[in-house]
Amino acid sequence: MSSEHIIKSYDEELRRLNNMITEMGGLAESQLAAAIEAVIERDSELAANVVQGDNKVDQLQRELDNLAVRLLALRQPMARDLREIVAAIKIAADLERICDYAANVAKRSIALSQAPPVQPAHALPRMARLAQLLVKDVIDAYVARDADKAYVVWMRDEELDEMYASLFRELLTYMMEDPRNIGASTHLLFMAKNIERIGDHATNIAEDLYYLVHGTPLNEVRPKGDNSSLEVVAPGRGPA
Amino acid sequence: MRPFADHPAPMPNLRQKVLVRNIDFFYGSSQALHNINLTLYDKRVTAFIGPSGCGKSTLLRILNRIYELYPGQRATGEVLVDGENILAPGRDLNLLRAKIGMVFQKPTPFPMSIHDNIAFGIKLYEQLPRSVLDDRIEAALRRAALWDEVKDKLNQSGLGLSGGQQQRLCIARAIAVEPEILLLDEPASALDPISTQRIEELIAELKSDYCIAIVTHNMQQAARSSDYTAFMYLGELVEFDETERIFTHPQEKRTEDYITGRFG
Repeated sequence: MSSEHIIKSYDEELRRLNNMITEMGGLAESQLAAAIEAVIERDSELAANVVQGDNKVDQLQRELDNLAVRLLALRQPMARDLREIVAAIKIAADLERICDYAANVAKRSIALSQAPPVQPAHALPRMARLAQLLVKDVIDAYVARDADKAYVVWMRDEELDEMYASLFRELLTYMMEDPRNIGASTHLLFMAKNIERIGDHATNIAEDLYYLVHGTPLNEVRPKGDNSSLEVVAPGRGPA
Repeated sequence: MRPFADHPAPMPNLRQKVLVRNIDFFYGSSQALHNINLTLYDKRVTAFIGPSGCGKSTLLRILNRIYELYPGQRATGEVLVDGENILAPGRDLNLLRAKIGMVFQKPTPFPMSIHDNIAFGIKLYEQLPRSVLDDRIEAALRRAALWDEVKDKLNQSGLGLSGGQQQRLCIARAIAVEPEILLLDEPASALDPISTQRIEELIAELKSDYCIAIVTHNMQQAARSSDYTAFMYLGELVEFDETERIFTHPQEKRTEDYITGRFG
């Protein structure tokens, strides 16, 4: 935030909004990290903690919404201040969603750890690490109001999409090889999809930050690395 | 960044009603305006904002040459209204001011009846039969959204009306002489919130017929009621653009600082 407002309490409220986003961002990172550790270690207790921890994020988001609505009503913000507040509302919603996905991954890891280990599971932590990095980078970019750094996140989501697409094919092949793999593989597939969605929310945050800094939308066409939604699979032949 | 402060996005569909060109203004030896250039479009509202003493009221007062009522004040440059320089010597000031109406911060009804408040201005310019005159008065009061409140007491004093009603009476008086341009200098700043909203609604309504310039300290009001906004500071035009741009992402830091409340 640049120079200070004549009314000091306005600055304090904007700072609080800012800190709440940073706190939510930190929680999103740690929830995702813990969820993926629960997958790797087959640790159901840790997974249950992640599911529990989602409440905290939901509550933070409600608090942030209240503060933002209060600011809109009482300060009648203009220009950059207005963009700060609108961006905070949108970013908080994305962070809340990211945490939901982390909790979903954790929940499925409990079911997954009941089944024997499946081979393609190794690709999931790699995806999760990239997703975690994107979330961390976009929050760092938010703290520094660095639109260029946000732009890099926005571009890098393509890598995550590609990882998802290749894991999708791998899992399909695996399921066709042996129907007994279907249960665990389906869980893995949903978890991968959740992580892929986390990347999409990170790009949303990058777009919000870009708008906050520049006042104009980031409206280039983003590269897409995932065509799995167009995939056609028929029994008796592998995925194309 | 746009190259010229006085060139918002080109508006091919709008008629340029007033062109302010290279205006300097002096109160005695002190210069209050520095090389102001901007365009007011017909059937659009242009708001002037800026801290006290920035020159926005001064600029408005140039547009109908009302500053000439005071000694020692002079303007140089050109104000072209429909292509004619109104600052040129030899202009009939009464005709000019009939074409360009003005409403001030404090309501200024004459100490006479509501009817006569409006008839007074019309009679200065035109000789009308009684029935035509009455029609004109009713039309002006209706246009100013005051008719329903005063139609049964047209012969009572204008001073007996509430502040908001008085201000609408003044607007009715201004539009009764069928001007083309309306200058509003803080028209709602002395009014309660309901009256203020009535005036804003009236501005929106009048926009379809007039070129309107409004000076206001209320930034939300400028943002709500205008199509274009000029931000002035220390006698200079800092930024002039579409209102939406000025209030969402202004190009000049001074504009941003002012509208977000960061001016020290």
